[in-house]
Amino acid sequence: MKKWKIFLITTLSIGIIAGIYVWFFMVNKPHRDIEQALPDYTETAENLYAHYANGLNTETKNYDGAIIRFSGKVTKIESVDSLKVLVFVFNEGVFGDEGIRCTLLPWHNKNIPDLIPDQPITIKGFCSGYNGTDIILQQCSIIN
Amino acid sequence: MKKLTLLLIISLTFFQYGNAQRYLTKNGQISFFSDGPLEKIEAQNNQVNSVLDVKSGDFVYKVLMKSFLFEKALMQEHFNENYVESDQFPNATFVGKITNPEAIDFTKPGTYDAIVEGKLTIHGVTKPVKEQGTFQVSTEAIVGKSVFKIKLADYHISIPGAVTGKIAEEIEIRVDVRLDPLKF
Repeated sequence: MKKWKIFLITTLSIGIIAGIYVWFFMVNKPHRDIEQALPDYTETAENLYAHYANGLNTETKNYDGAIIRFSGKVTKIESVDSLKVLVFVFNEGVFGDEGIRCTLLPWHNKNIPDLIPDQPITIKGFCSGYNGTDIILQQCSIIN
Repeated sequence: MKKLTLLLIISLTFFQYGNAQRYLTKNGQISFFSDGPLEKIEAQNNQVNSVLDVKSGDFVYKVLMKSFLFEKALMQEHFNENYVESDQFPNATFVGKITNPEAIDFTKPGTYDAIVEGKLTIHGVTKPVKEQGTFQVSTEAIVGKSVFKIKLADYHISIPGAVTGKIAEEIEIRVDVRLDPLKF
């Protein structure tokens, strides 16, 4: 086989492999699996709430965008369409309850009937931040 | 003692009335959509704080930018890191007022067209906006819905040179909030 043919086939092969890699692992890379990922921080619900409410979420310890595992007593469970939100209340503000709000991954909804108010549980989820009244966690899973 | 009791009754009545005029949610939904030649972009946020004061017509909502969920992880990364810079500007807010209160009877169930004017802050930039929408009033709740468009450039959200012209410069925002009466 002529050299230029070998060069052409090699170049094309590398190009195709690179294209497949970019398409699957960069353009269409999967979302981070929050349920399986190790937590960046582990806290109690009280400390997590105090961290934000007392203005301690600074660059040195920033929970925004982090995976947080925390334990506390769930106050109530709210429904938004098919989503379930676990609410940990720590304060009563002008606009009602203030605390930590965790939207569960849909397949954890089956655990909801077993929960009772004030039951201690451990949750892991992605922390979107603090909106001035509540800490918002998403893609949450119930650890125990 | 009688005076104290009277004062207590008046205070409680005023407090109750004050609360009954305010409706809120912490589970409101805001989604946005853009259909550019290169990419169709869609994201949803289900944890929107919103408050409506039916007496004054004040209407407010607040959104954490990191709560927007995209179908593609790469889009979500670009949105937070390159476009809205959510570490620096974590919230978007709208503070406005219903400008046609005479057309809406919040005591009577029905669907009412509403015009809301106010200031929308995204990416640290505040711009006046005028939105049209509806309020669906029922005995249990008020559902506010609105669809409007914004230009990314108005909020200093720049599109990288490599994809200029391939991503829509205007996005459609859909607001859907079910507001329940505030109770203590």
